Amino acid sequence: MSSSRTEASIVEVSMPQMGVSVAEGTIVEWRKRPGEWVEADEPICDVSTDKIDVEIPSPASGRLERILVEPGETVAVGTVLAELDTGAEAGEAQAEEPRPEGQDAEPAAPEVDRSRLYSPVVRRIAEEEGVDLEQVEGGGVGGRVRKVDLMAFLENGGGAKEEPEERPLHTESPYRPEAQPVGSAEDLTGPTRREQMSPMRAQIARHMLDSRRTSAHCTTIVEVDFSRVARQREELRESMARRGVNLTYLAFVAREAVAALERHPAFNASIEGEEIVYHDQVNLGIAVALENGLIVPVIRQAQQLSLEGLAAAIGDLAARAREKRLNPDDVQGGTFTITNPGQFGAVLATPIINQPQVAILDLEAIVKRAVVVGSDGDDSIAIRPMSYLCMSWDHRALDGAEAARFLAGMKETLEEGGSE
Amino acid sequence: MAEMTYLEAISDALRTEMRRDESVFCLGEDIGALGGAFKATDGFAEEFGADRVLDMPLAETAILGTATGAAIEGMRPVCEMQFADFIACGFDQLVNVAAKLHYRQGVAVPIVVRLPSGGGFSGGPFHSQNPEAWFLQTPGLKVVTPATAEDAKGLLASAIRDPNPVCFLEHKGLYRHVRGEVPEGEHTVPIGRARVAREGSEMTAIAYGSSVHLALEAAEQLDEDIEVIDLRSLCPLDREAILDSARKMGKVLIAHEATRSCGAGAEVAALIGEEAFEDLDAPVRRLTTPDVPIPFSPPLEQAVLPQLDDMKEACRELLAY
Repeated sequence: MSSSRTEASIVEVSMPQMGVSVAEGTIVEWRKRPGEWVEADEPICDVSTDKIDVEIPSPASGRLERILVEPGETVAVGTVLAELDTGAEAGEAQAEEPRPEGQDAEPAAPEVDRSRLYSPVVRRIAEEEGVDLEQVEGGGVGGRVRKVDLMAFLENGGGAKEEPEERPLHTESPYRPEAQPVGSAEDLTGPTRREQMSPMRAQIARHMLDSRRTSAHCTTIVEVDFSRVARQREELRESMARRGVNLTYLAFVAREAVAALERHPAFNASIEGEEIVYHDQVNLGIAVALENGLIVPVIRQAQQLSLEGLAAAIGDLAARAREKRLNPDDVQGGTFTITNPGQFGAVLATPIINQPQVAILDLEAIVKRAVVVGSDGDDSIAIRPMSYLCMSWDHRALDGAEAARFLAGMKETLEEGGSE
Repeated sequence: MAEMTYLEAISDALRTEMRRDESVFCLGEDIGALGGAFKATDGFAEEFGADRVLDMPLAETAILGTATGAAIEGMRPVCEMQFADFIACGFDQLVNVAAKLHYRQGVAVPIVVRLPSGGGFSGGPFHSQNPEAWFLQTPGLKVVTPATAEDAKGLLASAIRDPNPVCFLEHKGLYRHVRGEVPEGEHTVPIGRARVAREGSEMTAIAYGSSVHLALEAAEQLDEDIEVIDLRSLCPLDREAILDSARKMGKVLIAHEATRSCGAGAEVAALIGEEAFEDLDAPVRRLTTPDVPIPFSPPLEQAVLPQLDDMKEACRELLAY
């Protein structure tokens, strides 16, 4: 949090540096209004970056004097967002405007924006003349639109009165456009409700469409018997729980994915132009579903973590993502991504690659199925916890055989109870 | 027409009405032999005799009680309070007796109470007040407040002829400073009718008494399209003139030298708020003396009484709003 003193008691609230690559942020909402008191470190506003949403804590205790950046505006890191008066009495709030009195004229106070406050007569005339008052420039205090401003606007041809139409050069043609359907599409849809996309939603929309346009998506699927994983999980779960770690199936899949990536470095890569960049370390992105979106925090150096380490890291990132406590650096630098919507019971999906990576692995629901087990001549049908591993990969960088080998390797280690 | 000071116009009205109507007579402190503290009745004793220019004891209740009794008997007394401030001593006779007789018994009480009012000469708290609001709260009294010599004469004549008790507030600061053309002989100005003292288009300053001159001077110096309405009568108020001007301008400043709270300006502001809200372009503002007694000290007195600069500033703020 950066802040600086301009006057004796004025402290500026600035757009903070949130991680190395974040250059700008969008104000989502102000939690305080001008005149309200705010304590140091109390959240003063919410900011959305292209990576995450964060709360901005107040740099000091004081009265919020002015808001300089309104919700929806995007400004660079370091931009002053608001000013606090730390000289105000503790807890002292103040009415937004001093009450004007003709006689005891206050010394010029910082001018409050009054350009959207309209007097009764201005409203009435605007309504009569069909004027959109936002089009009228106000010359009064704080940009107020005065009656004289409105009258001048009307005199200069403002308002809804239409310009006389220019006389056509030709006589009317016999052509008539086709009759339009009487009702609009919306009439057929029924009542609707419109909502602006949240910054996160818009960001996801952009990224997904970009990826679809960028990569040659292909999806390969293998079926995996999770019986051994389930047994191993039962053995380890209690002791890990005592250490505060929730051992999930996802952790097993993550560990085998990391192992497979080390065996098949072509999947731990990204494409830049016509080059393929191979990454030495595995930075494993884990997609976390949020209430109204999706975020992909990254487990750095995942190849160095044990099963328990991965389980702990996954639990930590998921919790921080849901509590909006992620740092922008937490969501960058991934080299491979795992998504796990299977918790809701879906069994198959074709995920979209998280650019600029070349593959994404999808773990779906683990469900009991009747499967054929045993070796030739000794076949039988058994009930086993089964799941599909679906991997989308970029056919620009890879081919189907490699993807099949990658997944077959994972299947083998998972069914044999893990590579540890 | 003759050029007269405001004070001469008052004397002229009194003299003219006393010559015209034998039932008119004056009573007050030192108004006969001395001709009054401000010389409004100078020479009256000689012309009309001691019977019609009564020197009264220092007892305002006696002056107002005598006048009320005489009025009931068919006379038209004109009482002079030496200073408007002193009327407090005769309050009961005026507000409880004179003002209510018509309502209680159907008896007209045609008395005039002349009230030399206003500050600006270091007179202190007992000799500088503008007590008009006291009477605006008393149904049965009329209240007039002329600002010009012509209106001083015309309104005093109308007050004398009016069948109701009328409080006639004459601002002492105007006595010798304001002069103007005044019709000779009989001249009346209807009570309850305001006057457009200056036409404008951007805002209106509604004033009475001494504040009318402040408003006119401010408008001239600012060289803006400021309309100035001189109320002339506070009761009855000229609602039509007030609302007309307020509706045309949309911006209203009300100015008076009297104190602020529940003053005449508050009533005018309320009227505009109730009846002309849809035409307002700015809050109705007031320029008044704050709610304090008038101090002796000249710099302090200057600080509390509205000055020309205050008026200009108030106009500028409203124009800019």
